[in-house]
Amino acid sequence: MVPADSEILERSIRIEARPETVYSFFTDPKKMVLWKGTLAELDPRPGGIYRVEITGNDIARGEYVELVPYNRIVFTWGWEGEDSPLLPGSSTVEITLVEDHGATLLTLRHLGLPAPLIKTHGEGWDHFLPRLQAAARQMPGRCKN
Amino acid sequence: MVEDIFSVISEPRRREILRLVQNRELTAGEIAAHFEVTRPAVSQHLRILEKAELVTVRRDGTKRLYRARPEGLADLRAFLDEFWEGSLNRLKHAAENYERGYEPDGTSRQ
Repeated sequence: MVPADSEILERSIRIEARPETVYSFFTDPKKMVLWKGTLAELDPRPGGIYRVEITGNDIARGEYVELVPYNRIVFTWGWEGEDSPLLPGSSTVEITLVEDHGATLLTLRHLGLPAPLIKTHGEGWDHFLPRLQAAARQMPGRCKN
Repeated sequence: MVEDIFSVISEPRRREILRLVQNRELTAGEIAAHFEVTRPAVSQHLRILEKAELVTVRRDGTKRLYRARPEGLADLRAFLDEFWEGSLNRLKHAAENYERGYEPDGTSRQ
């Protein structure tokens, strides 16, 4: 069964490093490319850019929304490009870091995803289509055919 | 496939078609009757929706009956789930190495 709020994707992981260390991997471009992408442009303040080239063609981009040192990072997120299934700004990623005996419990929540659909028969579409409308309005001229 | 879904559903008529066949099967003609555009234009939209696996098609004699396939949209979620799993595992590895004073390649920092 998929819960009603299945548009939220949530993942947790325990990292044997202090929250300060983990936090810096989301704000320091040199550390970002140690785990994600090959080139990162990061301006870690609200409204600042978050842009990571995953490969030459796949570029993740968004803006930082909230930064609470060593505890919480929120940024909008999507992929650049003509055929992006998820445009920059169309979804939000929340990272929460909780200290646990010298280690860090990290929880990632990806919100606002346009795919809540499985097994809800119709309800999913009613939920989904208005979001698409909104997203499509942000991309004039992108419609094909 | 996942990459295509967004551009497929960014077209307003295709979204309208998905609404029409959300809970029932309709023929291309019945669908076209809801629009002012030409029948070939509607057929073209249906082909695109079918290719993106957002509708299923059932043949009944000479008729082709269309119906929405909501699971098609679950693919993006599955893709992202994997994407973040891979990313977070690499983050764990990189941050743990860094904490221990090592670069990701195992050499000592400074």
